[in-house]
Amino acid sequence: MNTCEKVREQLSLLLYGELSFDEEGAVDTHLEGCTECRAALERERELHAAFDRAEIEPPASVLWESRQSLQRQIAAEHAPVYRVSWWDQFLDTRWLKSAGALALLSIGFFGARMFPNLGLGVTGMSLMDPGAQRVRSVEPGPNGGVQIVLDETRQRVVSGGLDDQNIRVLLLSAAKDPSDPGLRYETVGILNDRAQMAEVRDTLIYALEHDENAGVRLKAMDGLKPFVQQAEVRKALAGVLLSDGNPGMRTQAIDLLTQGVGDSTSNGLDRDVIGTLQELMNHENNAYVRQRGDRVLQLVNASQETY
Amino acid sequence: MAHKAGFQTDEKALIQAAQKGDQDAFGQLVRAYDQSVLRLAMNLLRSPEDAQDVYQEAFLRVYRNLNNFRFDCSFHTWLYRIVTNLCLDHMRKRKVRKEESSLVEGSDGPVDRMDTLQESRAESDPQRTMFAGELRERIQKALSELSARERMVFELRHYQGLKLRNIGEILGTTEEAAKNCLFRATQKMRVALGDFV
Repeated sequence: MNTCEKVREQLSLLLYGELSFDEEGAVDTHLEGCTECRAALERERELHAAFDRAEIEPPASVLWESRQSLQRQIAAEHAPVYRVSWWDQFLDTRWLKSAGALALLSIGFFGARMFPNLGLGVTGMSLMDPGAQRVRSVEPGPNGGVQIVLDETRQRVVSGGLDDQNIRVLLLSAAKDPSDPGLRYETVGILNDRAQMAEVRDTLIYALEHDENAGVRLKAMDGLKPFVQQAEVRKALAGVLLSDGNPGMRTQAIDLLTQGVGDSTSNGLDRDVIGTLQELMNHENNAYVRQRGDRVLQLVNASQETY
Repeated sequence: MAHKAGFQTDEKALIQAAQKGDQDAFGQLVRAYDQSVLRLAMNLLRSPEDAQDVYQEAFLRVYRNLNNFRFDCSFHTWLYRIVTNLCLDHMRKRKVRKEESSLVEGSDGPVDRMDTLQESRAESDPQRTMFAGELRERIQKALSELSARERMVFELRHYQGLKLRNIGEILGTTEEAAKNCLFRATQKMRVALGDFV
């Protein structure tokens, strides 16, 4: 194998930074004097760039469903045995995964389980809500019959207090439902009453940081107000200050993080918040938000920007 | 570096808290790693359902066995050992079942089902879109022709950005063996895509 062949075999590892110090030195030296191998290196770079473009980024909905499902499975592992009831079965069913999730059931299953006296007849179907069903596939069955697979979305009314863990699991899940901002807004509003619970607070922080709807984010911020002294809440508010696209949200975040500043009883402002405000002033374009930030920094005798 | 050191300290505290039953701490650990776990499984298995299965099983195993984690290696390595083993199992089973194809019928003929899942991206030039689609298809075909181990090493190095030493540790092999695997994988990919790129 001549030197060029040997070098070309190492180009990929060179781009990955996986050659030893000596190997890399030898390849570099060769490349300096070999136009063809430099061209080969360029082709290798293009190949790597092509690999990059082929990467699949999982959709947010798949990640969200996975998290919800894991949360439910872990909750189920903790549930006492006597609670394995309709509730647990309810929580286990796949259709809870998202608003459009499906329960796959065959008519045979329904015939046997739900309508034992009705067999597989159409009468059984008519008792169910036809609007919530869709035929997915049809196959000839034994004895001249037919097997139909239905996608079915069922509705069920569940009621209970916020102290019921099962109710909370549903609410925590609904607060992150990507398909319905109205549902998220209502749910976050209800959860605000239990923001003293860590799991609820986590969900409110998640909504504050990630919800695409400013109304939902603002509602979540309302719920977190009483906990503004907690480190994780302050961190989330600092994040809002620096990266939320809505000036109203940024203004509210300033107000919450700087509550009491300027009062005679105030202990001043912690350095992290001052630093965050200074960072904000470096890039804030909104005149009102700038004015609010300015005012606070003046009150604590801090410079306006970091350099 | 200071940031990384800080994260590792935080992570140790999180793991210890989770070992004592702190659900919030466990949730934070999951959120720190779950996107890359899902991305790895999705890219390797090319099926959202299988990727979700791996996600669930991996984090449930972590949850159930966290008390046995003794910090002999990094949490990342431990988690990835679990994930890569689950993915390799899936890939091998699939090979046995000969269910390699991830094509589904679309309105314009067969399409890769993963393409239907891609987040929509702004692409105004139809020719470029077509080229990108063909290129992705060729790369996927080339990837599917790699052995399970080659595929795994390639994914971990190229898409997850892990160093070969770490990959060796995760897969229970040497850095040199991982390097050979990567070398073979890139060579096969180069041959398969040589006239296209």
